[in-house]
Amino acid sequence: MGVAAFVVMLNGEHNVHRGAFAGLFLATGWGFVGVGLWVWKQRSAGNMGPLMVAVGLSAFVKGLVFSNDSVVFAIASVGEVLIYAVLIQLLLSFPSGRLETRLDRLLVTIAYVNTTVVQLGVFLFTDSKAGCASCPSNPLLIEHSQAEAVLSAAQLDISIALLGAVVAVLYRRWRSGTPGRARVFAPIVAVGGLAFLLLMAALIVEQAGLSSDISDAQTLALFASIACLPFAFLVGLLRSRFSEADAISALLAQLGEGGGRGALRDALADALGDPTLQLAYWVPGQDAYVDADGQAVRVDPAPAGKVSTIVEHEGERIAAIVHSPGLAEGRELVQTAGAAAGLTLRNERLDAELRAKVAELQASRLRIVQAGYEQRRRLERDLHDGAQQRLMALGIDLRMVRERIEHDPLGAAELLDESLHELNEATAELRELARGIHPSVLTNRGLHAALKGLASRSPVPVELLQTPTDRLPPSVESAVYFVVAEALTNAARYSRAQTVTVGVVRDNGHIDVEVSDDGVGGADADQGSGLRGLQDRVAALDGRLDLTSPQGLGTTLRAMIPCA
Amino acid sequence: MRETVLIVDDHPSFRASARRMLEANGYAVVGELDNGDGVVAAVEKLNPEVVLLDVHLPDIDGFEVTRRLLDGNGATPQIVFVSSHDFTDLDEAVGASGARGFVAKSELSAEAISLLIR
Repeated sequence: MGVAAFVVMLNGEHNVHRGAFAGLFLATGWGFVGVGLWVWKQRSAGNMGPLMVAVGLSAFVKGLVFSNDSVVFAIASVGEVLIYAVLIQLLLSFPSGRLETRLDRLLVTIAYVNTTVVQLGVFLFTDSKAGCASCPSNPLLIEHSQAEAVLSAAQLDISIALLGAVVAVLYRRWRSGTPGRARVFAPIVAVGGLAFLLLMAALIVEQAGLSSDISDAQTLALFASIACLPFAFLVGLLRSRFSEADAISALLAQLGEGGGRGALRDALADALGDPTLQLAYWVPGQDAYVDADGQAVRVDPAPAGKVSTIVEHEGERIAAIVHSPGLAEGRELVQTAGAAAGLTLRNERLDAELRAKVAELQASRLRIVQAGYEQRRRLERDLHDGAQQRLMALGIDLRMVRERIEHDPLGAAELLDESLHELNEATAELRELARGIHPSVLTNRGLHAALKGLASRSPVPVELLQTPTDRLPPSVESAVYFVVAEALTNAARYSRAQTVTVGVVRDNGHIDVEVSDDGVGGADADQGSGLRGLQDRVAALDGRLDLTSPQGLGTTLRAMIPCA
Repeated sequence: MRETVLIVDDHPSFRASARRMLEANGYAVVGELDNGDGVVAAVEKLNPEVVLLDVHLPDIDGFEVTRRLLDGNGATPQIVFVSSHDFTDLDEAVGASGARGFVAKSELSAEAISLLIR
C-alpha cells in the first residue's frame, strides 16, 4: 500500500512538490508501521503497536488524495484527515495503550466524529475542480453549495479547540508526576506537541482567511514533524521500560529491607509514584478486601477517581492495588510490581486476613457480651414484673387468709381461690421464662421433641419435614432450636405466611437448618437484634446464617453448623 | 372515720391484693394509680390521708414523687414507700425523703402501715 501510494503521489498531476511529499509520506507511513509492528511484537504496551500501525496506514490513505483516479481520490479525500484522530488516540493513550480518563475518551470520540462524519459531510458539498483544475472530479458531489463553507468552518473550529485541548492534556501529563514519568513523556510531548501546534497554527491561519488552504510549505513542516513521531514514541517507550525496571528494582530493594505493617504499601506507593495508593488484601473467607489493619476496602467498583488493579500470585487472587488512573507507567507496571511483591504480598495478606478475623471476633465477642447483659437485664425485669409481683400479692392474700380463717371461713376460701389463681399465673410465667433461657425438653428429650413443641405453639401452621434422630452436642441442639424459634416468631409477626416448613438435616459433617415460609418476604437481616444475636450464636460454632427474603416470595432462614 | 388511702403501683395484681387487705382492715382506698406523674393531681383531687407509693415506677421514681408532693402548697398526705426490692440500704434515703417510712411488699400488712403513720 505504501508503494502504491508512493507511485500515485509521484504521478499525481495536481501535486506540486511530488518528490518531497512522496518521500515524507513514505517516511511517515513506514516509520509508524515499522515501529508499530515492533512494539506490537513486544506485547507490553497494550494497543500502542496496533495504533501506530493504524497511523501509518492512514498516512498512506492521506497520500492517495494525489491520485488521478476519481474513485481513489474520493475515498482518500474522505479518509485523509482520519490520521489526526488516530494520532490523538495514540498520543492520549501513551504509554499504556489505553485511554485511562473520561476526558481522554471524550476527546478521542470528538476527534473521530470530526474526521469521519463531519469530513464526509463537507466532501458531499465540495466541487474538487473549483480552484484545482487538474484535480479529478468529485463522484460523491451532491451540489456545490453554502453547506460546504458552513460545515468546513465548523470542522475547523472543532479541530482547533480539540488540538488545543490535546496539547494541554499532554503538557499537564508531562509536568505532573515523578521525574521518571517526565522523562518518559518528554519526547512525545516535544514532537507530538510541535506537530499539533503546527497543525493548529495552520488551521488558525486558514480560519482567519489569510490562506484558502493550508499551504504546501506548512504541510511539509507538519508532516516532517509527524514523520519524527514514531521515533519519539520509540524513545518514550524504551525510557518507560527502563523506568519500569528502575521502579521494580527499587521496589525489590525496599522489600528486602523488611519493615512493619504498611511497609509494603509504602514501598509500592514509592515505586509507582502514587502516594495515595491503597493496598487491599483479598480475604477469601469473607469475599471482601481489607487493608493491612483488617478494615474493609472498596475495590470493585473503585472509589471515585481511582482504578483497581487485581494482583494474582500463581493464579490465585491475593490483593488489589487501588491507584490513580493517571499512573503514567500504566497498569502493566502496577501488575508487574504486584507480581514482584507477590510473596511478601501473600504473607501480608495472611496477616491482614488474620487481623480481619480478629477484628470480627472482637466485634462478635463484644456483641455476645452485650447480648448476655441485655438478656440478664430482660430476665431480671421479667422476673420482677411478672412472677415476683404475683408472689408478693399472693403473700398479702395468704396473710389475710390466716387472719380470717377462724371468724370468716367462707371469705377465706374465696381469698384462697384468688391466691391459687395468682399461683397458677406465676407458675406459667416462670415456665415460659425458663423455656426462653433453655428449653428443658431439649435437654431431656432432644431436638425432635423440642421442635415439635415449638411447631405446636406456633400461630402459623408448621410442617416439620425432617429432624435428626441422633442426639447432637448440646450447643448445636440449642443453636438449632433458637434458629427455628426465632424464624417461627418472625414468621408469625411479620410474614403473613400460610405455612412454614422446617427441615433439619445432618449432612457431611454439617447440620443444615432451613425454615421457609410462603409469606410476603422483604425481611432485612440487619434490622432487629434477634437475627444478629442468632448470627453470633451460630458464628460462635463456626457456622453461618443466611437470610433470603425477596419481596413477595417468602422468607428462608438457613443455618449451616459444623457437627462432626 | 376510716383513713383514706391512694395506692400508686404499676403492677395490677399487687394493687388488687393491697386494696383487699387495706379494705379488710378498715381503710378506705380512694384511688389507684399506675404512674408517678399523675400523683400530685390525684392527691389534690382525692385528698387521701395516706399514699402507698411504689419506689420503682415506670416514669419517675417514688422519691421524686415525694419531693413534688412535699413541695406543693396544700395539705400533704403521709407517704409510705413500698417495694419488692430489698431496701435496707435505703433507710437513710427514705428517712431524708420526708416519707413516713418503708414496707417491703412481702411484709405488707395493715399493722405495718399503722405503725408508720400517726
